[in-house]
Amino acid sequence: MIIEDDIQIRENLKDLLEKNSYQVVVLEDFKNALEKILLEKANLLLLDINIPYISGEILIQDIRKKSNIPIIMVTSYNNETDEALSISYGADDYITKPYNPNILLLRIKNILRRVNKYYNDKIIYKDLIFDISKGTIKNNNKEIILTKNETIIFSYLLSHKEEIVSRDELMTILWDNTEFINDNTLTVNISRLRKKLEELETTIHIDTRKSRGYILL
Amino acid sequence: MRLKYYLIDKIYFIIIFLSSYLLITLILLAFKQEVLIIPISIILLVSLISLLLIDYFRKRKFYTDLLENINYLDKAYIVLETLNRPSFYEGKLLYDAFYKINKSMNENIKVKEEQFVNTKEYIEMWIHEVKKPIATLSLVLNKAPRKTKNIIKNLEDYVDQVLYYTRSENAEKDYFIKEVDLSSVIKNVGVRNMDDLLLNKIDFKVDKITSLVYTDMKWLEFIINQIINNCIKYKKKENSYIKIYVLEDSNKTDLVIEDNGIGIPDIDIKRVFDKTFTGSNGINRRTSTGMGLYIAKNLCQRLGHNISIISEENLYTKVIISFGKSKYFEVLK
Repeated sequence: MIIEDDIQIRENLKDLLEKNSYQVVVLEDFKNALEKILLEKANLLLLDINIPYISGEILIQDIRKKSNIPIIMVTSYNNETDEALSISYGADDYITKPYNPNILLLRIKNILRRVNKYYNDKIIYKDLIFDISKGTIKNNNKEIILTKNETIIFSYLLSHKEEIVSRDELMTILWDNTEFINDNTLTVNISRLRKKLEELETTIHIDTRKSRGYILL
Repeated sequence: MRLKYYLIDKIYFIIIFLSSYLLITLILLAFKQEVLIIPISIILLVSLISLLLIDYFRKRKFYTDLLENINYLDKAYIVLETLNRPSFYEGKLLYDAFYKINKSMNENIKVKEEQFVNTKEYIEMWIHEVKKPIATLSLVLNKAPRKTKNIIKNLEDYVDQVLYYTRSENAEKDYFIKEVDLSSVIKNVGVRNMDDLLLNKIDFKVDKITSLVYTDMKWLEFIINQIINNCIKYKKKENSYIKIYVLEDSNKTDLVIEDNGIGIPDIDIKRVFDKTFTGSNGINRRTSTGMGLYIAKNLCQRLGHNISIISEENLYTKVIISFGKSKYFEVLK
């Protein structure tokens, strides 16, 4: 659910989230915002700190009295205090405008995963078992060990399996994990990852879609 | 207030008094009243000296305090608050005039201050508003090519520069100092400049940094962003890199941002932190405003960090930000 008073941002945020297969509800009238939010029973709230009729901070405090729905605060104040405060009022995370859409999506995903407790270190896809914390992939044939970069790339591809993932998305995720690699390194990492998958003799492979990105099939 | 100058100032008074005395003596001589000369002389001279001394000491306290306090106060304009209204007439006139001048100046300053605060508020509000369409753009153009996304980043940088300029010029304390993980600040700046760095084929080499420093996270992000922008702007054509590392010693943490760009000529290096200074490098580049480092230095001063720059032309530029390890913050913990 999106609580945002700027129509342009609201609609585009909605588009972005829907494209990434989330169901989105937006609040268009901010009167009685609290009741409307509680009625909706959404899984996650994206809340602008600065909305009409009520301050975002008070709203969070009110919501927290009745619900523990995960909240990501969206702020455009470049102000450390607001953010520190919004966390202390009970928001789960915050992001400052203008935000990097890929990072926003990543934050949403992390929070949902944490809250819904379906966060599992081991992900099974077809015949592979991927262990994120150990950084290994195994199947009946053998087990291979991935480097940190390969783990980040593979887990992102896996969470977008059978979808095209652009190189820029991968780059953003890697840089957000303090792996400041360049284009060549990404290419090298992908081809190493491919080789390791081949070693496993699995049907799962990474395809290149020219000038669009990669896809895990 | 010195007696010597006081007497010099009263010279006409003294001359007229002495000439009258001389005249009186002559008149007494003319009327053959010699016996009166001595007592009259004593009376007149005693009254001259006491008149001068009484007047001098009445004024001395007021003027001495006034002059001393002006020198001693760091804000000389509040001197009137430290003085009592004097008892002599000229002093009263002066005191009252000062009071009126002060009041009118204060009113004038207040008007200017209000204008300044209004402008600042308007700018902050405007930036708040302009960030909305920028946010929308970055949402819409999420899948756009790097070059396009980089234009949005540039736009954002310019907007931020205005915001931090107004903040740095303003005496209000709108920062918030707490313990900050240096590596997360660098990560944010890195992600923000990712497209620009990749487009320019600049290797971004960051050491493993574990230092915690006391600073305002957003301000520091802006400062480092300015420096990285300069590294990108003044890079060499090939094999460019930016290295970021930390040097620690017992009383400070130095963050070093080093590039192998075109460097800064010796004649310019002392002036790089000056307002609107662009130097010979900047003149050749359209986008140089000469504001980035000036604002960065200003913000560093406000936060209590030291910022310095060393460079050799055509070889390297190193910007060093030093964070003190203050006992004060240790106590706060």
